[in-house]
Amino acid sequence: MNIIEVSHLRKFYSVFKKEPGVWGSLKSVFKRHYEEVRAVDDISFNIKEGGLIGFIGPNGAGKTTTLKCLSGLLYPESGFVSVLGFQPWQRKPEFQKQFALVMGQKNQLWWDLPPMETFLLNKEIYEVPDEQFEKTLDELIELLEIEDILKIQTRKLSLGQRMKCELVAALIHSPKVLFLDEPTIGLDVIMQKKIRDFVKEYNQRYQATIILTSHYMGDVKELCRRVIIIDKGQLVFDGALEKIVKRYASHKIISVILSEKVSLPKLKEIGKVDKYEYPKVNFHIGKKQTSQITSKILEELPIVDLNIEEPPIEEIIRDLFTKKNYR
Amino acid sequence: MKKYLQLAKITFQEYFVYRLNFYLWRFRSFIVFLTLLFFWLAIYGNQSEFLGYQKAQMITYVIGIAFLRTIVLGSRSADLAGQVRSGELTKFFLQPIKIIGFWFTRDVVDKGLNFFFTIIEILAIVWLLRLSFYLPHYLSTYFSFTVLSLMAVFLYFFLSFTLSVIAFWTEEIWATRWLFGVIFLEFLAGAYFPLDVLPSWLTKIIYFTPFPYLVFFPMKVWLEQLTTFEIFKATLICLAWLIFFWWLSTFLWKRGSKNYQAYGN
Repeated sequence: MNIIEVSHLRKFYSVFKKEPGVWGSLKSVFKRHYEEVRAVDDISFNIKEGGLIGFIGPNGAGKTTTLKCLSGLLYPESGFVSVLGFQPWQRKPEFQKQFALVMGQKNQLWWDLPPMETFLLNKEIYEVPDEQFEKTLDELIELLEIEDILKIQTRKLSLGQRMKCELVAALIHSPKVLFLDEPTIGLDVIMQKKIRDFVKEYNQRYQATIILTSHYMGDVKELCRRVIIIDKGQLVFDGALEKIVKRYASHKIISVILSEKVSLPKLKEIGKVDKYEYPKVNFHIGKKQTSQITSKILEELPIVDLNIEEPPIEEIIRDLFTKKNYR
Repeated sequence: MKKYLQLAKITFQEYFVYRLNFYLWRFRSFIVFLTLLFFWLAIYGNQSEFLGYQKAQMITYVIGIAFLRTIVLGSRSADLAGQVRSGELTKFFLQPIKIIGFWFTRDVVDKGLNFFFTIIEILAIVWLLRLSFYLPHYLSTYFSFTVLSLMAVFLYFFLSFTLSVIAFWTEEIWATRWLFGVIFLEFLAGAYFPLDVLPSWLTKIIYFTPFPYLVFFPMKVWLEQLTTFEIFKATLICLAWLIFFWWLSTFLWKRGSKNYQAYGN
């Protein structure tokens, strides 16, 4: 069953453009020049229960706007959106009790009070029974290891501690659908890992449907088997992460360990050299020539070891966004 | 209902995080009260009557202002405009909570706390300066005063909420709030002097605006200067404005929340 259905979703903003300087400001009092920004332009996808989907795209691609449409914050221009069978922008309490949106750059906790107060308020807002509240809270506290910070004023917490508390506040009502917008932004590698592990665990333990946006490919690589890529408000790719590699990687990397030194010009005769640091050489080889060049290397070079690798996913996606050669 | 109770508890706790802030706010209100009181005491001097008001009546009026300022003219809903602007409002669109209920709850706590302190301050001043305070003779006056004051609380709440909601379109409301707050509200509500000292043609116009029902009319009732018919008429006009602003604020809220762009990232 599809928990999330999006079909031909469009969301446009009209943005007022001001010329720089005081004169520009004065002119804008009398006449304003508005421009239409197509934040999301005809996007369709479906997500099944328990799915953990990575949403990637460069800045301004329309990721957050799509999430905002899915959570009912924005009223779409046209198209159909259904989450858990509800139209999000109707903002029905029955819908709101079943989902949560966590934004890494936004604070939902009460700033001047300890996080525990926000948890208690959310308990009442979402009408969570006492027993369930205590059970869920205990589990979350244990998973995220935040026992000792519950009573400290939120503003005095570190970014990582606060992010963990944000997650707890958003999950106190055990939502079936969870949207995570850059949950690891600004966190150190250890904390990133912890949040990742948590998201994975949450997805598996509760069969929650999760959409995750992130600039860190690590998040997506580790968590999501299915990825949706959008750029300029349009869907570019939707499918398994491995498929991106297959579809978009135009080359392979052959890494070789040499048993004795070979001059660089000689290596270049065989194929394009990416990197040479004796004893290691990386060749950058077009997909179709792989076997041909591999045999050539085996014949002509003194080697200890040879590996054929796919280029790293970060690189493929970077190329994809800069060259824009979507097929 | 429990969610609003929990919200009230949190709001209450917030005040105690920044105690100094709260004391300073009380201090400011107290100074405004004292200034107005001494101003009128100076004008009266040794006279017992001025502009148709007995000295005791005028003092009662000024004390009444201090009291009604606290419970009527204080509202946290002004913060709503800031939340629209900063995008902080987002979280309320995600949660099953009514925004009007949210702000009203916060107002009740705010008014309750200030009410407590205002009563102490007023009693202290009345006792220290040996002021003669006018107490109504009829029981029905207390009743009418309570009803009109409560209506004033709601009227001001919806008025202020309406102004805040305008931020959905302008994203900047300090100009309107200032114009409204200082010129119209304080002046036309009768928060400096009783409105009937003005020329009668002017007061007739003012009586048709919503403002005098916030402070002036409840005080006139307390001073027992209105006939039953006048009280009835005032109640009706106030009710009409109350319904109007209640409708307007919910209407604008619905329109505005569609317009909301959830800025911030």
